[in-house]
Amino acid sequence: MFDATDLNASNRRKQRLVKMLFLMMTILLIVPVLLILTVLVIKGGPVLSFEFLFSDPKEQMTAGGIFPALIGTVWLVTVALLASVPLGVAAAIYLSEYAPDNWFTRAINLAIINLAGVPSIVHALFGVGAFVLFFEFGTSILAASLTLAVLTLPVVIVATRESLQAVPRAFREACWNMGATRWQTIRRVVLPNSVSGILTGVILEVSRTAGETAPIMFTGAAIFLPFLPESVNDQTMAMSLHLYAMATQVPLPEHAQALPYGVALVLIGMVLAMNAISIGFRMWLRGKKKW
Amino acid sequence: MRILKTALFVSTLGVLVACGGRGGSGDRTIIQNKGSDTLVNVAQAWAEEYAKKNKDVAVAVTGGGSGTGIAALINGTVDIANASRKMKQKEIDLAKSRGIEPKEWVVGFDALAVYIHKNNPKTKYTIKELANIYGEGGPTEAWSDLAIEVPGCQSGKIVRISRQNNSGTYAYFRKTVLGKNDFKLGSNDLHGSKDVVDAVEKTPCAIGYSGLAYATDHVGVAEVAKDANSPYVKPTVQSAVDGTYPIARPLLMYTNGEPTGAVKVYLDWILSAEGQAIIKKKGYAPVR
Repeated sequence: MFDATDLNASNRRKQRLVKMLFLMMTILLIVPVLLILTVLVIKGGPVLSFEFLFSDPKEQMTAGGIFPALIGTVWLVTVALLASVPLGVAAAIYLSEYAPDNWFTRAINLAIINLAGVPSIVHALFGVGAFVLFFEFGTSILAASLTLAVLTLPVVIVATRESLQAVPRAFREACWNMGATRWQTIRRVVLPNSVSGILTGVILEVSRTAGETAPIMFTGAAIFLPFLPESVNDQTMAMSLHLYAMATQVPLPEHAQALPYGVALVLIGMVLAMNAISIGFRMWLRGKKKW
Repeated sequence: MRILKTALFVSTLGVLVACGGRGGSGDRTIIQNKGSDTLVNVAQAWAEEYAKKNKDVAVAVTGGGSGTGIAALINGTVDIANASRKMKQKEIDLAKSRGIEPKEWVVGFDALAVYIHKNNPKTKYTIKELANIYGEGGPTEAWSDLAIEVPGCQSGKIVRISRQNNSGTYAYFRKTVLGKNDFKLGSNDLHGSKDVVDAVEKTPCAIGYSGLAYATDHVGVAEVAKDANSPYVKPTVQSAVDGTYPIARPLLMYTNGEPTGAVKVYLDWILSAEGQAIIKKKGYAPVR
């Protein structure tokens, strides 16, 4: 048997040093986030008003509000979700519940991982080639949203698959032993128990979709559009592109310098609000979980 | 699953309600206008003004650079491509092979200003000096090579600010200042006309080039001479029009063949006194 010996001074010092080092690094992680938020709130906060949110941009973005961009981003995110969630969840169900462990399944998994690593500008070019030109959707919300959907599919698939696999195997076996089919098991037992995890994937997707600029720049978003989109075949303005254009293209006079910060603040606020709603929903679902 | 579906359904409804607020007719004509970053602000100003007087025609403006606009024209995805450089023969051939006949319109002129930091004492440059700074094999690497010292520039090295290579501004500067030569490696290639001016404003060692319309009070604008025997000229709307400023270029729009219908009416309006007053207000030189 071992006897516990006291740490000697040198070891204790090292122990403390290492702990401090890791703590510092953790704090370092939060610093950029806090800095960004602080700067945005200080510089962009004064810009925010009812009028800023609900009126059109004027004088080439140097005055007026962001309403068309706000609505455009909601359109893009919603249509992208409608396209990617059913597809991603279906693929995840197949991979988790049905797929045998063979080379084909492994190839699909590899493809999904690689899809997640493709830079967004490559997705943008794919979107132009596939949706705008080949399928002839033109530059439209449909083309842009589908591009975003392809971009975010891996997130949905991976999150859904992981939450499906978190449901204990015993649940499934109990179900099968009662004579239920695979589909009945999935529908009545596996899915209800993994909805909260699936939602996490959706939340991540929303945040990413709302912020992406490159994939929508060539496929459906315009810097300036004098009307609000009325269907998925219309082009649209979008928050992210609006911010990009303001920051890099538009000479802002002194009185309009704060506008881009306002746009960024609203964009972040939008994502946080959507996340908060989903997180609240998820917590409520988790509360109903019986295990 | 049902909960998930309901959530999606509700959010869709939300969008429909939010967007239904301003119902409009579906028979609106949309003009697709894409390309040059230099032109994007004027293009926006035109589109904004045009929307006020003509409710049936909507002009959608997108940027991306002259190359982006020209590529879109060749692909047939735009009605009007904006460009701050002429189409290359190669591009025209490619367009024609796809049944597109590019037609060029000069809609204004732009003086390409050379920007320096506010504290930079050297405010006059010849084209040759600029070529020595930017061009491949050019000997000028530090401000001391030009026998000056820039306050606040500790390293003394010239920080060259340039543009990405599908920019019309990049192409025009290369052709006019560097001749057949290429750019020196190691420049900071930025993605927007305004970015260049912002970068120069914050970097004492920097020199950059961008449209005159992006000039602010916080940055120095250099005078440029064609050669050592010519006078140094300050870039202004006036000197761009009369041709005394050596690096002023035409701003172009391209259409597929002779335009008809709404596109023709829009182009005519751009070239009218009303349209040209707008481009002048934005800091560019009008055609007439």
